Amino acid sequence: MSSIFRGTFATAIKIAILAITTATLSLLAQSAFASGESAIGAFLIFAIVALNFTYFTKFSIPLKFFVPGILFFIAFVIAPIIFTVVMSVFNYQTGNYISKPASIEQVLILGVEPDANQTTFDLVSGKDAKGDFAILVSDIANKRFFISTQDAITDVNTAELTINEYGVATTAPGFTTISDNELATDDAYSKIRYKYQDGYYVKIEGQGVGAVFRQKIAYDAKTDTIKNIITGERYINNGKGNYALEGSPEKVLTPGWRTPIWFENYTKLVTDKRFRTPLIKVFIWTVVFSALTVLSTFSFGLLLALALNRKLRGRRIYRSILILPYAMPSIMSILIWGGMFDSEFGAINNILHTHIAWFSSATFARAAVLLVNLWLGFPYFYLICSGSLQAIPSELLEAAAIDGANPRQIFRGITLPLLLQILSPLLIASFAYNFNNFNLIYLLTGGGPRNSLDGEVAGATDILISYTYQIAFGRGMNDFGLASAISVIIFLLVASISFYGLRKSKVMETFG
Amino acid sequence: MSKWLRENLWRHAFATSMCIFSLFPLYLVVLSSFKSSGSLQLDSFVPKELSWDNYKMLFSSPKIPFLSWVKNSLIISSVVAISSVVVGAASAFAFSRLKFKGKKFGIQLLLLVQMFPAVLALSAVYVIMERVYSFAPSIGLGSQAGLILVYLGGSMGVNIWLLKGFVDSIPAELDEAAKIDGASPVQTYWLIFIPLATPVLAVVCLLSFIGTFNEFIVARLFLVEMQGRTVAVGLQQFIGGQYASNWGAFAAGSILASIPIVIIFLSLQKYIVNGLTAGSVKG
Repeated sequence: MSSIFRGTFATAIKIAILAITTATLSLLAQSAFASGESAIGAFLIFAIVALNFTYFTKFSIPLKFFVPGILFFIAFVIAPIIFTVVMSVFNYQTGNYISKPASIEQVLILGVEPDANQTTFDLVSGKDAKGDFAILVSDIANKRFFISTQDAITDVNTAELTINEYGVATTAPGFTTISDNELATDDAYSKIRYKYQDGYYVKIEGQGVGAVFRQKIAYDAKTDTIKNIITGERYINNGKGNYALEGSPEKVLTPGWRTPIWFENYTKLVTDKRFRTPLIKVFIWTVVFSALTVLSTFSFGLLLALALNRKLRGRRIYRSILILPYAMPSIMSILIWGGMFDSEFGAINNILHTHIAWFSSATFARAAVLLVNLWLGFPYFYLICSGSLQAIPSELLEAAAIDGANPRQIFRGITLPLLLQILSPLLIASFAYNFNNFNLIYLLTGGGPRNSLDGEVAGATDILISYTYQIAFGRGMNDFGLASAISVIIFLLVASISFYGLRKSKVMETFG
Repeated sequence: MSKWLRENLWRHAFATSMCIFSLFPLYLVVLSSFKSSGSLQLDSFVPKELSWDNYKMLFSSPKIPFLSWVKNSLIISSVVAISSVVVGAASAFAFSRLKFKGKKFGIQLLLLVQMFPAVLALSAVYVIMERVYSFAPSIGLGSQAGLILVYLGGSMGVNIWLLKGFVDSIPAELDEAAKIDGASPVQTYWLIFIPLATPVLAVVCLLSFIGTFNEFIVARLFLVEMQGRTVAVGLQQFIGGQYASNWGAFAAGSILASIPIVIIFLSLQKYIVNGLTAGSVKG
């Protein structure tokens, strides 16, 4: 048996696996570099080197166990965290997603204006005698027909044309039409600017129609400004990812580009009332929600564990039923509860004979969230508590009983303090978990009710994490920079809570 | 009799009422899945009709690729569960049994990093996978392989941590005996540790399976095509979409999708409870 792991067979397999992995990763790295993703490419090269070095040398035995794990860990845990921290000092948001060159390109494409009459022409797309892309334009109003390419315009005599019943020229000598199918597949085609007169050009606007435009603005790389050729206005790089009009900084050209704005996302959260007020409101609710959830799930779980902590008829049946909420996939349960709270057709209003619009009122929505989380969470503490109750030495309880303590005194004086001591890390872990209980909030209330007409992003039941999600991925404005800044803050908060908890439970001391 | 009443009545009363609380939503789902009206309304506690329409619809309607959702969920969850245990077990073994420089730092980093809520790194993961898509669409945003990579990598910290808790609970005497007999760590791992740890690894594997099966938001962001969705994302469409909610189909679908998970969970409850504690408490 051991020969399998030592012999030439094992070596052959090892080499084969490494060769395949190396080849795959090399291919990926190559295409990553080819499309300009050098950071990802560099990581892939690093992975190749690390893998081959570890498994072909005897440099470090522990590393042989770690390398695959570490590589995944770096790629999908560490890198996103670092990336989040980096994004938090950027203006990464709707209107500032792209790089600066791409932004300038977009601004130039958008910086055109139609001519005074907003002239449009009927036209046919095709190729001219030389094989260049061309259009056959029919200026019906002026009875003028011409073939235009990117750099030339040639008038065509009416006699040489085939003109249909609408007065539109369909064929001309030396001009070959291109079918619509071909046009649809060629994306570059619609971007071509066909020459017209006085600095104007014709652009295809739809099937068989073109309109007359001219370039209004130009980019000057030397001074890094954008200039309006017609009015002479100058737009200056405002250092925050946009070109702003000289003299009136609020007039910016869109789209902008992503650029560091350093601590602005963080200071905005502290100093700007529009961001600070909702953040504080959401933070308070997050803490209240997590604390009440831990309290309620723990109390009900403990009470159940106490109630069933003795030989009782049907205890096994009770137990199997009571853990069902925990065994169900939580997504399904949350969605079902969402339906039960429906104001019109929900079962809750059916039973209570009420017509409460649960998710339209802040108070009712919060109560609903807490109730659902109680349902989801109490079985966990029931299981944990019934296990822990058995771990309490029975001598202690018997001794107290002999000393004349009544059951209530025993519970308050011995059982509860002992349980709290054993379970405090789990209580803290549960707090931290609920602090980030995204699925519950997102799927049950969506964070609402919120007054979206006023542009409010933070809803009454939004916790920090769902609020952050709204900022990053919600409807309307998406601000990855701000969301990342809040993420970093939440991380620091949760990490300090948990570290406090771990220090208390002395888990850290057992490492080493 | 009165003593029995005094001591046990409240226990039965409380346990029964909590059972009703636990069962009520589940009962309602079962009821709704057999109703043809498609609402989650409670008209009566006793089923009035027994219609299989909702179940039939899941399997016959061409607009609802329920079977391919289930297939996707099963494939994604199994691949993630197995790979994460294969990769994670080696690291957990090293953390638990080997001595090396930087071990303490490694464990602390692992612990710290798993506190970074995965949802928050989501925007970063999204951007990274968008870039991967630009040069390798088959493993980038929108592909199942990409989703698997994200799950696998994203859960690496938590998984190693959880596995380490389990590994710590396996007695080290046999490893040490093997070491004395001259076995290398790699041999100890394959010949002693893995056979010993197989049951535990299987449990972690199933836990990871359940966890992945339950994941919603990353799958929702990643998988855009109707055919490629997971069960959770697909079913949510019935009630969360802009169209009228169809609770009947949702109820039927979620019952079918939940049954295997509930069975796995109930049969493993002892280990799962131990695992829940082992992950965070030690000693």
